[in-house]
Amino acid sequence: MIAEVVTQEPVLQFEGVSRVHGSGPTAVRALGPVSFKIRSGELVAIMGPSGSGKSTLLSLAGALDVPSSGTVRLNGRDLANRNPAELSQLRRRTVGFVFQELNLLPGLTAVENVRLPLELDGHPLGDAHQRALEELSHVGLRDLADRFPDNLSGGEQQRVAIARAFVGPRSLLLADEPTGALDSVTGESVVRLLKKQCALGRTVVIVTHDAAHAGWADRVLYLRDGEIVDETVASTAGAGGIES
Amino acid sequence: MSVRNSLLALIAAQPAHGYGLKSEFESSTAGEWPLNAGQVYTTLSRLERDGLIIPAGDSGSRGEAGELDRRAWEVTAEGREALARWFDTPVENRSPRDEVVIKVLVAIATRQANLRQVLQTQRSATMKRLQEYTRHKIEADPDEQLAWLLLLDAMILRADAEIRWLDLCEQRLKQLDEERGS
Repeated sequence: MIAEVVTQEPVLQFEGVSRVHGSGPTAVRALGPVSFKIRSGELVAIMGPSGSGKSTLLSLAGALDVPSSGTVRLNGRDLANRNPAELSQLRRRTVGFVFQELNLLPGLTAVENVRLPLELDGHPLGDAHQRALEELSHVGLRDLADRFPDNLSGGEQQRVAIARAFVGPRSLLLADEPTGALDSVTGESVVRLLKKQCALGRTVVIVTHDAAHAGWADRVLYLRDGEIVDETVASTAGAGGIES
Repeated sequence: MSVRNSLLALIAAQPAHGYGLKSEFESSTAGEWPLNAGQVYTTLSRLERDGLIIPAGDSGSRGEAGELDRRAWEVTAEGREALARWFDTPVENRSPRDEVVIKVLVAIATRQANLRQVLQTQRSATMKRLQEYTRHKIEADPDEQLAWLLLLDAMILRADAEIRWLDLCEQRLKQLDEERGS
């Protein structure tokens, strides 16, 4: 059922991945086994009821958790058997996260928030600052670079978070309900922005309860009881769509 | 009622001919409700019969039926009142009847189908439709195609509501199963 046509190495690949909490008779299977591939430039939405494994999937994809079995590959690299320092570096350089709220450090301005991952990765401050400003331009917030989060609207804060998620070499964004705290129009503008990022060759995986926002995705994976029970593929790709 | 009142609104905005009204109605409703000429002329005749419109200005001479499309119409005072009443009155009593709802309820009542499969098949089809509407929305120009965009928004939110309802059905059934099983 899951698309297997690949024209290039997947950005993210799950092969028979499962995650079980506990062991023996009290073990709880949170996910899997699931297998899928996500290619560069795709916007993929993950839907499903609470407890279906959506957040577990996202944590495994972002190397925040390790699978009980199966293989997770990020840009072709197996995440297994890596020490915490390696995983941390991999995350900083490969994956960005956006959550429903509380994404930004309140004591830092927008540009300081965006440049933080680069600073942590040892980039010179001037270079990090310049790249952060460029990334803020991508999300249309160059003029608000010196504002603190408290002085930004909810939608603007999410745009800053998206800029931070993509700053530097990172090209995969994992978003958990990024529009959950926003009104419909603002939420749509955030999804539109994510779609635009995909048109630049970046890749976005978004967990959402909101079907209207999932509708922007090239593919929607539906999870139930830890398994992918359905996949809908947009018939014709829009901007940033699936490569043929 | 909607077509009748919509034509009345278009005439109230500006005196118009039958053929112009047809295309204006279709464009203001994003082509979603195509009208045939006969329907337009029948509606205009009824509006005239009820005193809500009259032939406009010097085109006021009554002609044969074949001249209906060459005649311009303007709204009367009664017509404006009727139009104001329409806009002021909320739409009520919308029927919950819908094939998706009926199919799911009947599947539950009769146990003649795998209910989870029925829900999943429908959710998948509705999601696909929603993706299609969204694709059109991405391509729409908000300045030039506002009616089309708002229509797509309505369709998207209806599809969204249907998916939420299908999810809710599944969750309620799961909850019931768990309660009965425990």
